[in-house]
Amino acid sequence: MSKLEFAPLVRRIELPDMVAYAGATWDWHRLHYDPAYLAARGLDRPVVDGQVFGAYLAIALRGWLGPDSVLTDLSFRFRSLVFAGETIRCRGELRSVQDGVADVDLRVEVVEDGRLAVAPASARLRLPHE
Amino acid sequence: MTPALAARVGEEAVYTAPEPLGRASIRYFALATGDSDPAHLAGDVAPPTLVCETNQYADRPRDADGFAGHRWDLDVPGARLVRGGNTYRFHSPAGPDDVITARWRLDDIAERTNGAGKRMLIVTSLATYTNQDGRLLATNEEALIYVEA
Repeated sequence: MSKLEFAPLVRRIELPDMVAYAGATWDWHRLHYDPAYLAARGLDRPVVDGQVFGAYLAIALRGWLGPDSVLTDLSFRFRSLVFAGETIRCRGELRSVQDGVADVDLRVEVVEDGRLAVAPASARLRLPHE
Repeated sequence: MTPALAARVGEEAVYTAPEPLGRASIRYFALATGDSDPAHLAGDVAPPTLVCETNQYADRPRDADGFAGHRWDLDVPGARLVRGGNTYRFHSPAGPDDVITARWRLDDIAERTNGAGKRMLIVTSLATYTNQDGRLLATNEEALIYVEA
């Protein structure tokens, strides 16, 4: 039986989005905005803060499984950097539902070239009682 | 792996916020991530991963990279640092009145070789987040990777 795949959450991440996230998390690392710092490391664009993918996945999961579902576990591994101006796609497949608990397999892809930004990743949610 | 690095395993660092999380912090995080949950946008309930962001009360000086959050300051010459990943467990949602304490423990430092034959040090830490009543909010196992340059 094939797994249920949810409609992806797609986000284009512009520099102002990154500045807003850096402000909200007090993360002032130069990797996220400083052209000279980036150039010295062979990078031509600011690097998206990886932790934001956790926030995006949490938003996607709530959309897929409903506002009354409760996220209890979220795990992810970073595979490649994502840069300012790129678009990401959060994908999810329902692996199982048992005793009111849903397990979801996740990944984050970069739309422009299909590379994996985050994988493997997974989540567990407690579902509302019927 | 050096004996000095190995001796660091088991270290702890504890940071307690000087004030409650607050509605503004919650709303700002929700706006920054495009979160449409009304409870997040109202500042009533923190989005789950916000509780794991603790730079604002680590009370550390900015380093040369501009980073002012928790770090172990491990001495790994000739290596670049990359993030490996996170495993979050959310036990109880945080709200605007919660004063959060983050307790970090350096759990493990392991030497590996990557697919390109470069040596790596994988540093695993566990952060535990509680509020002023000792209520467990979340845990966060984080992997940082030092890769031979």
